[in-house]
Amino acid sequence: MINQSLSLPNNEEITTAPNGHRLLSLGRHMTILIEKQAIIRNVWLLILLAIACVATLGIGTMPISPKEVIAVLFGHGNAMSQFIVQDLRLPRLLAALFTGAAFSLAGCLMQTMARNRLATPGIIGIDNAAMAFAVSSVVGMGISLAPSVMALAGAATATALAFGLAGGSGTRGYRFIVAGIGIGAIAGAVTQLLLSQVSIDVANSAYPWTVGSLSARDPMMVSILGIGLVICLVACLLFASQFALMPFSDQVIMGLGANIKYIRIVALILCITLTGLAVAVAGPVGLIALIGPEIARVLARYRGIPLISSALAGALVMILADLFGRTVLSPIELPVGIVTAVIGGPYLIWILVRRTSRTSL
Amino acid sequence: MISWFYIPPAQRPLFSVFVSALFVLALCCFCSLLFGAGGLSLQASFQTLLGNGSADTQFTVFHLRANRTLIGLFVGLTLGIAGALMQAVARNPLAEPGLLGVSAGSSLAVAITLVLGASTATLTVGVAQFGALLGCLCVLGVARMQGQQNDPIRLVLAGAALSSLLLAVTSLLLLFDQRAADEIRFWVTGSVAGRDTNTLFSVLPSMLIAIICILYTAKPLASLALGERVAIGLGHKPQRVRAVVIVAVALLVGGATAIAGPVAFIGLVVPFAARALVGPDIRRTLWLCLPLGPIIVISADVVSRLVAQPAEMPLGVLTAIIGAPVLLLIVRSRRMPTL
Repeated sequence: MINQSLSLPNNEEITTAPNGHRLLSLGRHMTILIEKQAIIRNVWLLILLAIACVATLGIGTMPISPKEVIAVLFGHGNAMSQFIVQDLRLPRLLAALFTGAAFSLAGCLMQTMARNRLATPGIIGIDNAAMAFAVSSVVGMGISLAPSVMALAGAATATALAFGLAGGSGTRGYRFIVAGIGIGAIAGAVTQLLLSQVSIDVANSAYPWTVGSLSARDPMMVSILGIGLVICLVACLLFASQFALMPFSDQVIMGLGANIKYIRIVALILCITLTGLAVAVAGPVGLIALIGPEIARVLARYRGIPLISSALAGALVMILADLFGRTVLSPIELPVGIVTAVIGGPYLIWILVRRTSRTSL
Repeated sequence: MISWFYIPPAQRPLFSVFVSALFVLALCCFCSLLFGAGGLSLQASFQTLLGNGSADTQFTVFHLRANRTLIGLFVGLTLGIAGALMQAVARNPLAEPGLLGVSAGSSLAVAITLVLGASTATLTVGVAQFGALLGCLCVLGVARMQGQQNDPIRLVLAGAALSSLLLAVTSLLLLFDQRAADEIRFWVTGSVAGRDTNTLFSVLPSMLIAIICILYTAKPLASLALGERVAIGLGHKPQRVRAVVIVAVALLVGGATAIAGPVAFIGLVVPFAARALVGPDIRRTLWLCLPLGPIIVISADVVSRLVAQPAEMPLGVLTAIIGAPVLLLIVRSRRMPTL
């Protein structure tokens, strides 16, 4: 839980920690500043996440008691519940856990970078492009690659295009965002074009890719996403002290001696990797990137950049949304992308209409 | 004619620019009747236009293509004007009905009626206009959010967020109704082909109201461009002007969406081109939007017939491909023009 870490060279030792923080020495060369609040917050989120996981593993057409679930997880329990939990529900839970965390972390980075709480990877078109590529592979435009690989390629293509068209990061990276919106619009149009050219059966088989769904996902991609998530999370923590400068104006950041372009590019690369991998697993579930970081910011009382809390909150929301979509209309399964859109929608409107006095984020 | 390029846009004679735009529009309409994706050759359609074609070719040219051109004319007209109005009221060159979620609101409303089983044309138009109005109101909320910084891009971001939300709700509805999904799949792309011209007549009354609204607001909008305080000082009521404009935009966009489906970026490209030709004054821009909107929609439609022969490309795809670079161009210009 190194939520707000600050690494300092050893000749500038801080002897006393600020109020509400603790210093943790790692060897002689590094000191980490830890916020006590952040630890408490993240432990709570972890507990909630664990409860949600057990609930998800237990609830379904064939209910299993929490005790049994825990027993199965430790390798006991009868064969039937072992099969249901380990082979059917656990892969889906892992997919939800990883995609939620990845989307949310990417959203937090993007919002910090753009200094705008509405900037999410989905809104700047990464989701849409990934969707267009995946759909093109499903409807068979002479491409034989798996949809998830195509989704990854789409995400990378969209970002590269947006970055190239924006011509440098521009003031506050805004050109980049607008370029992304334009590319997203084109990608959306192309998706519609592809879907309108094929028969309704093929269009239906491409449907999960257009709304975002967690059922029957590629287990390979889930494990790749898991590895990628861990790497990105570590990278985020290493750069946390640099990201913490982003809310300030460009002049202040430069005055503090940080390389603003470098920070932006690192954040962007992390963002694309996370979004691309997550879209490759679950399709566009973009609103998680809006909801997760927002919950984390509320919990952190708008201090600092709550990266870990964002990831945890995103995973929590994703699991709950998937559980809701699976159970509420039981024989029919609602895709998780639609559930998050319906939950996130009223919340989004609330952000839009309220009179905010808080500055950027 | 070449000498125009040496005159600053704001001083160019409006009348001659307008007339030459009308000339280009007539040319576009002629091309639209002449070219097609089907088996009819260029010579055959030209002969038909001259009056000596068979019943088949006459049906193709005077019924199919003429209807299509007519609808393109209407859609271009309404969306171009709506875009200009919206940009003037938001004082933001990026405000566009499609980008800000107005079209998405109206397609959601149409999806709801389709799922409920309605298919009467008049109902669709009214519902689409109501949906567009709701979308506009959300945009108003967003415009308030612009706050101290008055940053044009905040508005676009919020609009993108809003339209992604509305699209998600639309797809939720379609999940439960296979028939509506199949029907709307073609509609949401935005196209002027194969639409019902009878719908045009049911739109006319609301267009009349919109025209009255525009006539009432053109002058106040021009002074609003100088700033809210100046407008008040000149005796206008900014709040009332804004409300009237929003109603007009909702009527226009709703009408266009009901007929052709959501066609993105027309409202961005047309006022941009009009401003480049005759300068930023809204009274001049609106005049020029009248021919420019149909020019862009009809020529895009002609291209969409020709690029993917013998099939056709949906119009919405083509306008997105034209519009996105213009969006970039506006953002990349060194100093974003504040309206």
